[in-house]
Amino acid sequence: MFKKISVIASVAVTLGLMQAPATAADKFVNGIDANFPPFAYVDKAGKPGGFDVDSVDWIAKRMGFEVSHQPVDWDGIIPSLLAKKIDFICSGMSITEERAKRVNFTDAYWEVKNVFVVKADSGLTEDDLLKGGKRIGVQQGTPEGDWLRDNKDKNGWNFTLRYYDSSPMAVEDVLNGRIDAAGMNDAPAKDAASKKPVKVAATFGKIDTFGCAVRKEDTALLKTLNDGYKALMADTFWQGLIEKYEP
Amino acid sequence: MQHTLEVLIEAVPFLLGGVGTTLVIVVGGMLLGLVLGVPLAVGQVYGSAPVRRAVGLYVWFFRGIPILVLLFLFYYGLFHLIGLNLSAVSAAVLVLGMTSAAYQSQIFRGSILSLSLGQFRAASALGMSDAQAIWAIILPQALRLSLPGWSNEYSIMLKDSALVFVLGATEIMARTHFVASREYQHMPLYITAALLYFLLTWAGVRALRALESRVAIRGYGRT
Repeated sequence: MFKKISVIASVAVTLGLMQAPATAADKFVNGIDANFPPFAYVDKAGKPGGFDVDSVDWIAKRMGFEVSHQPVDWDGIIPSLLAKKIDFICSGMSITEERAKRVNFTDAYWEVKNVFVVKADSGLTEDDLLKGGKRIGVQQGTPEGDWLRDNKDKNGWNFTLRYYDSSPMAVEDVLNGRIDAAGMNDAPAKDAASKKPVKVAATFGKIDTFGCAVRKEDTALLKTLNDGYKALMADTFWQGLIEKYEP
Repeated sequence: MQHTLEVLIEAVPFLLGGVGTTLVIVVGGMLLGLVLGVPLAVGQVYGSAPVRRAVGLYVWFFRGIPILVLLFLFYYGLFHLIGLNLSAVSAAVLVLGMTSAAYQSQIFRGSILSLSLGQFRAASALGMSDAQAIWAIILPQALRLSLPGWSNEYSIMLKDSALVFVLGATEIMARTHFVASREYQHMPLYITAALLYFLLTWAGVRALRALESRVAIRGYGRT
């Protein structure tokens, strides 16, 4: 009986393990943060979707390569790229100097402001949030989080910064009352405001630009993506995407 | 409330889709833990001093580091360094399996030690070598006695599998996050995920209980 069980079990495990990723010449894997609507998320059918996912699919068709989208934990997304688990990152990723030390970015394809999201009935202003000893939540590993942290002492501001795994989680805590505001890009903020009783209170920080990240040695891929985006932005599909996702 | 129910009903099939991945991770990890754990236990009980020290080091390492840290360490670091290109699920099975082996070896060691030395002596008296005695006499008993502890390890492994979402494996936890980020219905979704895990734990423990009765040896406990 044990022999039967062990044979069945080892076959099942072997079948289950036969999923090592294969990157052939024309197949690429796009790493996404699937908790970042409207740029990247997983839809009801379980398929990746979003502004960046659709853009990349269009570009793949136009430039003649196959692409699949792989949700990766945001904290590990650059290590994933460097470890060749994914081939590029098109997922609402802000171009920053620090990141550019480890990866190369395409030309910027989108611009976002950073905003504070607060409860719909709250009267807090930007001044209150920065100077009034409030609690602000941000997603870990984001430029807006770093900006708040770096500029706090420089400007003598007064607030407590809390880090979350994703922006939607920070919004949940605003509703729970654990934090007074969540700082994030304006696109997911708009998304949150359309689904929950929160509103955008104020903008802060710098304007961030989004770009796709590739490994430093992948110069051909970088060019392909840049050309792809140029083509996409000249096509009416781009406008269609903007209207659909309102990023 | 209406909206919440709609979201949940739509999400359940998607969450159930993650059960397969979760089970592959759990079964794979348990089996690897078994295959590694038994030799580790035998080595610790019957081995020479260097062997006992080596096993002690292994157990100390894998019990001393949180699984989350181990997952990141191996997946992004060690595996890549030695050129091993594994998917998230395979890497998870390896890491969870190696960790489980450390814990399982202690379960087996406890069971082996609970058998009286008379068994071993009787086997020697019959002319069996140490290896024969261990394989034919000690282990069959010890493994059966280990089943209660083993089903404990199963329920722990099931819960540890939830951590694997950080590597990008789309098991139950990852899927719950995806839906929650999209729909902003965190609490109902996490309750659903919790129920799913509870069901899986209960079913597995029940199955192991049945296995226990099937292979029980008379003369132990109250049988």
